[in-house]
Amino acid sequence: MNFELSQEQQLIQDSVARFIDDKYALEARQKLVATKTGFSTDHWSTMAELGWLGLTVPESLGGFGGDQVDTMLVMEQFGKGLVLEPFVASTVLGTRAVILGATQQLKAELLPGLLDGSRQLAFAYAEEQAHFDLEDIVTHAKIDGTDFILNGHKSMVQHGASATQLVVSARTSGGQADTAGITLMLVDADSDGIKIAGFPTVDGQQAAEVTFDNVRVPKSRLLGSVDEGFDLLMQLVVDGILAVSAEAVGAMEVLYKDTVTYTQQREQFGHALSEFQVLQHRMVDMFMEYEQAKSLLYRATLEVAQSGLGALRTVHALKHFIGKIGIMIGENAVQLHGGMGVTEELRIGHYFKRLLVIDALFGNSDFHLQKFAA
Amino acid sequence: MDIDLSSEDLAFRDEVKEFLDSNAYKNGEDYNAWRLNWFKLAREKGGWDVPKWPVTFGGPGWTPTQHYIWEQQTAAAQIPWDLPFGLSMLAPVLMNYASKEQQDRFLPDIRERKVNWCQGYSEPGAGSDLANLKTKAVLADDGSHYTVTGTKIWTTLAHIADWMFCLVRTNDSGKKQTGITFLLIPMKQDGIEVKPIITLGGAHSVNMVYLNEVKVPVENRIGEQDKAWTYAKGLLQHERTGLAGISRSIVALEKLKKQAMTVKRGNATLMDDPAFRAKVAELEVDLLAVEFTELRSLAAAAGGSDPGPESSILKLKGTEIQQRVQKLTVEAGGIYSAAWGALPVGHKFAKGGMSGYLASRAYTIYGGASEVQKDVIAKNVLGIKKSSS
Repeated sequence: MNFELSQEQQLIQDSVARFIDDKYALEARQKLVATKTGFSTDHWSTMAELGWLGLTVPESLGGFGGDQVDTMLVMEQFGKGLVLEPFVASTVLGTRAVILGATQQLKAELLPGLLDGSRQLAFAYAEEQAHFDLEDIVTHAKIDGTDFILNGHKSMVQHGASATQLVVSARTSGGQADTAGITLMLVDADSDGIKIAGFPTVDGQQAAEVTFDNVRVPKSRLLGSVDEGFDLLMQLVVDGILAVSAEAVGAMEVLYKDTVTYTQQREQFGHALSEFQVLQHRMVDMFMEYEQAKSLLYRATLEVAQSGLGALRTVHALKHFIGKIGIMIGENAVQLHGGMGVTEELRIGHYFKRLLVIDALFGNSDFHLQKFAA
Repeated sequence: MDIDLSSEDLAFRDEVKEFLDSNAYKNGEDYNAWRLNWFKLAREKGGWDVPKWPVTFGGPGWTPTQHYIWEQQTAAAQIPWDLPFGLSMLAPVLMNYASKEQQDRFLPDIRERKVNWCQGYSEPGAGSDLANLKTKAVLADDGSHYTVTGTKIWTTLAHIADWMFCLVRTNDSGKKQTGITFLLIPMKQDGIEVKPIITLGGAHSVNMVYLNEVKVPVENRIGEQDKAWTYAKGLLQHERTGLAGISRSIVALEKLKKQAMTVKRGNATLMDDPAFRAKVAELEVDLLAVEFTELRSLAAAAGGSDPGPESSILKLKGTEIQQRVQKLTVEAGGIYSAAWGALPVGHKFAKGGMSGYLASRAYTIYGGASEVQKDVIAKNVLGIKKSSS
């Protein structure tokens, strides 16, 4: 048992922390939120130069060769700055899909652009009727000679509008909610018949609705095997859950620490707010639950790095807890900041909004508790 | 004790329903013309435009049950928008503490919804600890006017208000609760600057109000100089009772159930999901209880006296319930609750859900934060003496 970081991991963590300190003060971030793309292409290039975009790409393919633990270290720091660049969409999910599912030829074609940041992927899996059930897929693909013909609609595709390619889950056989009969494929964002409508989300990030109308996708763009894509889909979603959970833990840390600082400065009734016992206990609760969330994050991440989908139950536990505790810490941070807490001026509201969105991503707190109990 | 409605009450309920139905807004109608006419018609019914005003000031003199029926019926129907500042917050202070001349000057316009008021209470250093307010008013040597300088914060709708009722400090010596004075200040004049505060949902409803040597005629002072803390405290209790929003929560919960039934989960809907169902059920149970707590409080206040400390229970419980309804709406929206901006995405109700939820976080802060409400109950109801913080 050892929770110490390796020297390499420590270096990554320090360099991401420095990046956040330099680039992600609230005012700078909100300026990026207001731009059309909603993030900084300069920051994206920096991430490429520092090797973060190849974090989990094997060394033999030009990457850093890391695993979910390394992603966790990066994402926890990203959570402290509420980073806007499409790292989860393109690197954690998209690039990972390519590594796990693409042919050697396709990898060779895509990886240079993915590592230097000129290519950007998005993960199109959610559908309106599915609520949070991954296997509930109506979007379908028919085989026609050397192509798939893709039809359907994907929702809330994170950073869908700025992506060059989409990783899409489609039904190639079976019933609407069968785990068999699902196929993943890589679709060019500029294909004929594709419509991508981008919009902001409440946390200042970007998403898109995507419709496919007889979109032709060459079979060579298959990820994994035909009809057997569910496991790959699950692996990607698990990595996504671990990443946003690490981000959430970083955000929670900012929220509870900002609250402790603020209540020591703000005076009412002739006392600093922090002198009121009822508020002290509330902050102790926030701190304790934050530490618990961090423990579950470490546990789930280490278990997945070791045994993949064998650790699914712990992942459900984690995502349930992150949703519940993220909102609890966010609501309390706002309440303890009083009126200031509900303004856009202080940063805590922005962290709170991100935690609300993280709860909704990849299945909310209730959904994962039910999966855990099942 | 009897919870059945009497035949008179049933007849009243039908009369209210009839009034609401026959005067409902019709699409295409000029909204403002409809609104003003609605209040005129309500007035002709015998004070229905000012249900909570006492009979001596033109109110309907309803029984607690009739008030309850009115709340229930109007929460479910579409009635014109109305603001509480003049009607429910300032008017009771005027009725209790203003001179006859002042009442004649201000109450008719409030009643006819001609003038928008805002409340100048909180300051950057005086939130929950309102008595700590520092905005200074100095009486001129000839006694003709005050000169007011200071900053007010969280002033709702100050940017559209014609007038502000304002607490100012006229005396620094002694306890901070003494030395506070109640002034009525016209907003459209030199020396007043209103700056928007943008809240979490991106909305602009609250403001900073800067007052710089604003001259206020002494005729605009309500009651005595230095004595306004008592008036203001009464007003806060009125404010708190109004903030519970129980009838609205009942309507909102029914709406939420219908929305959840449009969210598919396999062959069923979200309303069939056991976890979601249980949360809705818990809310319904709490609403059944708090609805009767409100009735009991209404009955106690039937004599026309100020609502007592029990109104703090309603604010606490009522606002928590409003927040829980909003939170469930966000949960029901699933991933679509995250969508922002103009593009329609996913379930229709989802986007309104998130802004409603974010706005609701302020409910347990304004009008006296929940923590302060609990202090009030501990002190005034339980009789617990505070030894230290």
